[in-house]
Amino acid sequence: MAIKIIAFGQIAEITGKELTVEASDITILKAALQVEFPALAEKKYAIAVNKKLVADNVALSDNDTVALMPPYSGG
Amino acid sequence: MKNHNNRYARHYSLKDFGFEGQQKLAEAKVLVIGAGGLGCPVLQYLTAAGVGTIGLADNDVVSLSNLQRQVLYSTEDIGRAKASVAAVKLQQLNPDIIINSFKIMVTSSNALELIADYDIVIDCTDNFAARYLINDACVLLYKPLVFGAVYQYEGQVAIFNVPDAEGNKTNYRNLFATPPDPLEVADCNEAGVLGVLPGIIGIMQATEAIKLLTGIGETLINKLLTFSILDYSSFVIDITADESANSTIPKNETEFKATDYNWLCGMSSRNIQDLKPNAFLEKINLPDTIVIDVRETGELPKANFQNLNIPLSALSENIPEIEANNIILFCQSGKRSLKAGQLLLEKFGQTKNISHLKGGIIALHETINEQTR
Repeated sequence: MAIKIIAFGQIAEITGKELTVEASDITILKAALQVEFPALAEKKYAIAVNKKLVADNVALSDNDTVALMPPYSGG
Repeated sequence: MKNHNNRYARHYSLKDFGFEGQQKLAEAKVLVIGAGGLGCPVLQYLTAAGVGTIGLADNDVVSLSNLQRQVLYSTEDIGRAKASVAAVKLQQLNPDIIINSFKIMVTSSNALELIADYDIVIDCTDNFAARYLINDACVLLYKPLVFGAVYQYEGQVAIFNVPDAEGNKTNYRNLFATPPDPLEVADCNEAGVLGVLPGIIGIMQATEAIKLLTGIGETLINKLLTFSILDYSSFVIDITADESANSTIPKNETEFKATDYNWLCGMSSRNIQDLKPNAFLEKINLPDTIVIDVRETGELPKANFQNLNIPLSALSENIPEIEANNIILFCQSGKRSLKAGQLLLEKFGQTKNISHLKGGIIALHETINEQTR
């Protein structure tokens, strides 16, 4: 399934702002991203599927949008 | 008209706001933690808007590199405590409100007492230790928290601890249950920030606070807004309540007070001494002492004192034998030197005195610049 990914902040510096990945759930998606971008392994980021935060593994459907959002600390 | 104050005339005439809205602001008590890039606009607009009691807590002094974005301060304020300067300027802006200024670092031992007196807390700090500490304190005290943070050209805004229509409430730990390793994230000191960004994000935080207090509009309760100033795109996600995230929060006041957030966020280590710039300069020339620059070769600014360059990446591979008993480490901002200290601690244990320059060479240069002004 083609999943659209939108990345923010320091994650986007590694992956680029937008990309498409084939994955059927979040665990597979994370693994696929880590193969392509090994630097992601050390990064913390929140994941939102279709603009809803997900804490656990969830199944993905075609054309879902997954956002990768790292924590910001600046102020 | 009762209590007409011409200062707020444009609020009185504002549809859906009026006297009633102004009265709610006048009765409110808001605590702003951090009077830097985010804190300045938050404080200025809430003061101007007539929030009845504003608390501000900050332990920092104004430095030259702050003035690019911290617009409450002037060049002549350099070296003065932000809490004192801000209190004077805000009171001049609006003498009708109460400003409580605290020149303190908010820690787990004073946070609960400080926050308990206020209706809303606004997090305008610049590091994860403070952000997790404030989040956890607000969860324990059931206080609404207006969160804001920036990175280069993007900012995040959210409201935590306020139940939505279904009674669900969320907090920062729902987004990020545990703090990131300090090495994986950069702050404004390292990553830079366009000066207007904290201005915009701070004004969004002030806006959310006003909306929360007066009940106008739709707030960012249980939502995270990410805003980019490069293309004005905003991305809002729903944060879902998940009880498992709360398991990382101290269960009660005693547990909270016993939590060392600096340590938890990797910002300090119990067996590595933090050296402030002046202490660092005193110690580097002592006998039996080696000073190690753990930055990658060629990183600027160069150090103008004797040191050995062993990049953190090389230390991670192999730690050489070191004869001196006193090891002083430094890097750009103090994060990598702390990490290097931990590696050395693993190898040498307590047989060596390991210390590092807190705030890195950036802090050292700022201190030297201020002292020679």
